[in-house]
Amino acid sequence: MTRQYEAVYIFDSALDEAAISQHLEGFHTVLGLPESPALDHWGKRTLAYPLRNHETGYYVIARFETPPETLPEYERAVKLSDSVLRFMVVANEGTVRTDAPAQDVPADDVSASEDDDE
Amino acid sequence: MRRRQKTCTICESGVRVVDYKDDRTLSRFLTERGKILPSRLSGTCARHQRQLSTAIKRARELALLPYIKGHSG
Repeated sequence: MTRQYEAVYIFDSALDEAAISQHLEGFHTVLGLPESPALDHWGKRTLAYPLRNHETGYYVIARFETPPETLPEYERAVKLSDSVLRFMVVANEGTVRTDAPAQDVPADDVSASEDDDE
Repeated sequence: MRRRQKTCTICESGVRVVDYKDDRTLSRFLTERGKILPSRLSGTCARHQRQLSTAIKRARELALLPYIKGHSG
């Protein structure tokens, strides 16, 4: 069974885009994805607080679908990379779940039936 | 005299899931110091307050929001 995930990477802003793409490709090959993940390059941003003495970081968001068993190996690979200042993988919750029940729920039951947290 | 009922601004804007990457929206629910604003002050409903709290904590970890604002060294 696969799940949808969203990964946010903060790269060292000193790296150029080609190097960042190469790193991303390396991480995503560990996952063994059938198709390349959807990438969203936010680009260079000022960090809210310094990370490893860096004031800025290059943000990239990747969305992919993979079985949960592949994640530990992938996370280990990302953690070992010096060019990634920080990263976070969360179960993608930005889209409405397609497996949600279709029937109407009475108004007072809505809060009880909906998934708030992962 | 009864106090006016506050309404959840997130419900009003039609947002179903609070996005942890939207730091501009999240920062509206922080105090001057960067603490999470309680729902009794912001008027957020319980469901969205739970989502906000998780989203703000994630955004802090990703250096999108500060843990403490106005703190010098």
